[in-house]
Amino acid sequence: MAESDGELLQGTLEMLVLRTLAHEPMHGWGIAHRIESMSGRVFLVSQGSLYPALVRMKRRGLLASEWRTTENNRRARYYGLTAAGRNQLQVERSGWLRASTAINAILNAHWALGET
Amino acid sequence: MSLASDLLERFRALWHRRRDEEELAEELRFHVDQEAAQHVSAGVEEDEARRLSQVALGGVEQVKEAVRDARGTRLLEESLGDMQYALRNLARNPGFAAVVILTLALGIGGTTAVFSAVDAVLLAPLPYEEPGQLVRLYGASVNDLSFRGFSSPVQFGAYREQLPSLESVAAILTYNTKGADVGAGEDVRRIRVLPTSANYLAVLRARPEIGRGFQPEDENGSGIEDNVDAAPVVLLSHGFWQDQLHGDPGAVGRTLVMNGVAYTVTGVMPDGFRDPVAGAVDAWVPLDLSQARDPSEAGNHYLTVVGRLRRDASLARAQAELDGLSLRLAEQYPSIKEERARLYPLKEDIVGSSSRALEIMLGAVGLVLLLVCVNIANLMLVRGSERSREFALRTALGAGRTRIVRQLLVESLTLAMAGAMAGLLVARLAMAAIVVLGSGTIPRLASLSLNPWLLLFALAVAIGCAVVFGLTPAIRAARTQPGDALRDQSRSSTGGRRSLRVREWLVAWQVALAVILLVGAGLLLASFARIQRVALGVKADHVLTFELNLPSARYDSTARAQFYEQIATALAALPGVRAAGGISKLPATGAYHQWGVAAISGPLAGDAQRGQIGAQNRTVSGEYFQAAGIPVLAGRTFTQGDDARAPDRVVVSKSLAERLYPGTNAVGQKLHTGGRDSEIIGVVGDVAVDNEGRSDTYVYHAHRQFAGDRNWALMQVVATTGSATALEPAVRRALAEADPQLVMFHPVPLDEAIGQGAAQRVFTMRILLTFAAVALALSALGLFGVLSYSVKLRTREFGIRMALGAERADIGRMVLRRGLAVAAAGIAIGVCTALPLTRLMTSVLFEVSPLDPRVLLGAIAFMGLVAAVAAYLPARRATGIDPIASMRVE
Repeated sequence: MAESDGELLQGTLEMLVLRTLAHEPMHGWGIAHRIESMSGRVFLVSQGSLYPALVRMKRRGLLASEWRTTENNRRARYYGLTAAGRNQLQVERSGWLRASTAINAILNAHWALGET
Repeated sequence: MSLASDLLERFRALWHRRRDEEELAEELRFHVDQEAAQHVSAGVEEDEARRLSQVALGGVEQVKEAVRDARGTRLLEESLGDMQYALRNLARNPGFAAVVILTLALGIGGTTAVFSAVDAVLLAPLPYEEPGQLVRLYGASVNDLSFRGFSSPVQFGAYREQLPSLESVAAILTYNTKGADVGAGEDVRRIRVLPTSANYLAVLRARPEIGRGFQPEDENGSGIEDNVDAAPVVLLSHGFWQDQLHGDPGAVGRTLVMNGVAYTVTGVMPDGFRDPVAGAVDAWVPLDLSQARDPSEAGNHYLTVVGRLRRDASLARAQAELDGLSLRLAEQYPSIKEERARLYPLKEDIVGSSSRALEIMLGAVGLVLLLVCVNIANLMLVRGSERSREFALRTALGAGRTRIVRQLLVESLTLAMAGAMAGLLVARLAMAAIVVLGSGTIPRLASLSLNPWLLLFALAVAIGCAVVFGLTPAIRAARTQPGDALRDQSRSSTGGRRSLRVREWLVAWQVALAVILLVGAGLLLASFARIQRVALGVKADHVLTFELNLPSARYDSTARAQFYEQIATALAALPGVRAAGGISKLPATGAYHQWGVAAISGPLAGDAQRGQIGAQNRTVSGEYFQAAGIPVLAGRTFTQGDDARAPDRVVVSKSLAERLYPGTNAVGQKLHTGGRDSEIIGVVGDVAVDNEGRSDTYVYHAHRQFAGDRNWALMQVVATTGSATALEPAVRRALAEADPQLVMFHPVPLDEAIGQGAAQRVFTMRILLTFAAVALALSALGLFGVLSYSVKLRTREFGIRMALGAERADIGRMVLRRGLAVAAAGIAIGVCTALPLTRLMTSVLFEVSPLDPRVLLGAIAFMGLVAAVAAYLPARRATGIDPIASMRVE
C-alpha cells in the first residue's frame, strides 16, 4: 500500500509526526490517519514505517508515550512531544521551509524549464 | 537526544523486552481494530473490514520485526538468545557437556599445574647474582670420573688457592645434617646449622641484611662446639632471627646459646636467602678449616665445594686447571693418588636429578593436552554432524548462515568457558597435590605458584581447540546445500561415512597417545616394584628412628658414651620394644665416612693393592644390629666390656671380611682405619648403602670406644612389635625422664627414612599413572563415542541387513571388528612411537629396560581390553536394533 508514490522519506515522516503531535498527544492509528487526511490522502503512512519511527523517536527522547483510554473505552498508547521534540519540530520546520523555498526557486526559474 | 540517553533507552528496552513485546502486540491490535472500525463506519462488511485492515497493516510480524530493529537491541538480544539456546541445548545433552567440560578441565588444569612445577624447579634460575657463573666441584676417582663425592679439607685448601679461573671457592659442610639445640630447659628446640667457609657469601654474592658475614680468622675452629675457649660467631637466617630474637634490629653482638655454647651473632641474612645445596637452614657457623694443611686429613672427605667462575673464564679452562691440580695433589699426598675432581654448572647439578623426572612429566602433560584436543575435536565433530540436519533445516527455513555460525560460536564458547573455569579449579587442586606429593624430594617445589602466562596458554589452546572444532561442522553445513544435507541424513542408509573415517583416525591417535603414556607409567611401575624388592640387608619395618644430640657443653665424651648406652637400655625396656641402639648414619640412606681400611693381619696384610680398600665406617651404640635386623654371621657384637679401657675392637660386614681376609676367619684379625688399629670381633650381614641396593663394605666401631673422636649425635633406632609411629610418645617420655632438656629430633619410621630417595620416582610414577589413567579413559570414551555414533548412523543399514537375513550376532561382530581395528591401528602407532621415547626415561628407571617386553605387552593388553569394552557396548546396541522400527525412524 502506498509504496510507490505515497511513501515518505524517513526524515519527512518524523517531521510530519512531530507536527501532528504538536497539538495534542495521539495514538499510532490517529497519527497515521491524521497525516493521511491532512495531506488529502496523498501520503499514506505504512505501519511498517510508522511504528519503528515512533520507537526510534522515543529512543531519541523526542517523544514520550503513555497508555490511556480512548473515547470508546479501549486502551491505547498515546504519544506526545517532549521539550526536545518541540525544539526538533522548530528546527525541522525552518530547515524544510528553507529547503522548499530554495527548491521552488529552482523549479520556477525560467531557464530550468528548458526554454531557449 | 544524547548518546547516553540513547544507550540508556536501548538497555531499558533490553530489560523490558517481554513487556515491550506485549505492549507492541496490543498497540498493533488496537491499530487493526481502529482501522476496521473505520471501514465499518464507511459501510464495509465486518469481515471484509477486518481483512482490509490486516492488509493495510502489511503483516503484523514484519511490523514487529521492523520495530525490534528500531529498538537497537537486536545484536544483544540475539546473543542472549544464542546463549540461552546454547545452555538449553547443552542441558538437553548433559553427557556431552560434562565430557567436554571434564576433558577441558583436565587438559587446562593438569597442563598448567605441571608446567608451573617445571617452570619453578627447572627453568627459574638460582636466586643469586649471575647464577650461571656458579659451579659445583665434585671429588671423583681415576676409575670413575662420573663419581660425585666430597672433598677433603686439604683438597679444598688447594682448590681455593690454585684455580685461577675460579674467582672464589667456598666449602659447605652438608655432609651430615648438623643440628644444634637452642635455648634451655623446656623451651629447647633443635635447629639446622650449616658450617661454611668464610668466603661463602662472596661466592654466592650475597650480603647480610644486618651485620656482616664471616672473616677468614673465623675458620680457625672457633665455631666447633668442643672448642669453647674461642669466641664462636653465628650468622642467622631471617626466619630464625624473627622467631627467636623477635626481629631485634640490635641482634648483632647478642649472644645465642647453641648446644650449651654461647655464640655471638655476627649478622642476619635477608629473607629468602637459602643455601643452594642444603636449602633452608636456620643459622650458619664458620667451618673449622684448621686441618686444611694437615696431610693426614688429605683423604678425609666431607666437604661440599662450590665456586664462582670468573666472567672471562670458561668451564673447560677451569676443568683443565683442576685436572692439573689434581695430579699435583696426587703426587703430594699418596692417600689421594687415585683421586680427581670434576666441575659442573651448579644449576645443572641441583636440578639435574629432578630434571629428567620433570621433563618426563612435561612430555606426559603435552601428550595429555594433545589427547584432550583430539578428544574435544572428535566430540565437537560428532555433535556437529549429529546436528547437520538441524542446521540444514534451519537454513532451509531462512536462518542466515552467519546466524548459525554465530550461534555455534556462542555454544562452543559457553562450553569452553565452563571448561576453563573447571580447569582453573583442577589446576589449583593439582598444584596443591604436586606440592604435597613432591615436597622434600623435588628441590624448590615449595616456592611453586600458578604461572599466569602458562595458565593463559593452556586456556588459549583448549578454548581455541573447542571453538575451531565447534565451528568446523557449522562452516561445512553452511557450505552444503540444505537439501543435500537433509537428503543425506534421511535417505542414505550409510551416510556420513567419510566424516566417520576422519573420526576413526582421530580415535586411533587417541589410543596411540594412551598407549605411550601407559608404557611410560608401566616402566616406572616396574622400576618401583623392583626397588621395593631390593634386599637392603636390614629389617626396616616397625622401626622408629630419631636423632639424639648430646650437647658437648653438658656431656663430655665419657658422659656421652655412658648416656647413649643408658638410653638404649631404657628404650629397650619399653613395652613392645624388641631392641634399641644408635648409629652414626641410618642404613641404606647414603654413603658416609668412607675411610680407607687396611688389613694388618691375615693373608693380605701389607699388600698395598688388595689389602687396602675404602669402606663405610659407622659408629654404633646399644643393640644396633638387633634393632636394625642385621644378622650376626660370626663372632659377637659389642658388649659392655668393649669400652674406652679395652683395646679397640670393630665389627665388619661379610663382604669386607671376604675381601680383606680371603680364605680365613676374619674374627680375630686386625685392621687399620679411622686412625686406629682394631681387632675384628664379629662379622655381620651386608647392608646396602642406598635404597637401590648398592652394596659396600662396612666397619662398625663401638661408640663406647669411639666417643672421644667427635660428638656423634647418634641416630637412634628402636625396633618394636607394633607401629613405629605409635611408639613415639613412649620414647619421648623415656627421653624426658633421662634428661628433660634433650630433643627427640626428626622422628621417622626407618622404612620412610630409607624410602626418601625413591620418593622422586614415586612422585613421577604417580603423576604418570594419573595421566595414563586419564588418557585411557579419554581414548576409551573416544572409541565408544565414535562407534556409538556409527551404530546410530547405520541403524537403518543394519535394519535392512537384518531384514534381508543377517544374523544379529553378525551385525554385532561387524561393529566390534571395526572398533578393534581402530584400536589395533592406534596400539600399533602407539608402540612404534613409544619405543624411541622410552629411551629418554633410562635415568629414572631402575633395573628395567626401556624396552621391557612385559611392560609393552601389558600396556598393549590393557589398552586392548579397555578398547574391547568400549567397542562391545555399541556392538551390543547394534544387535538390539529392531529392523522394523529402524526403518520407521526417519
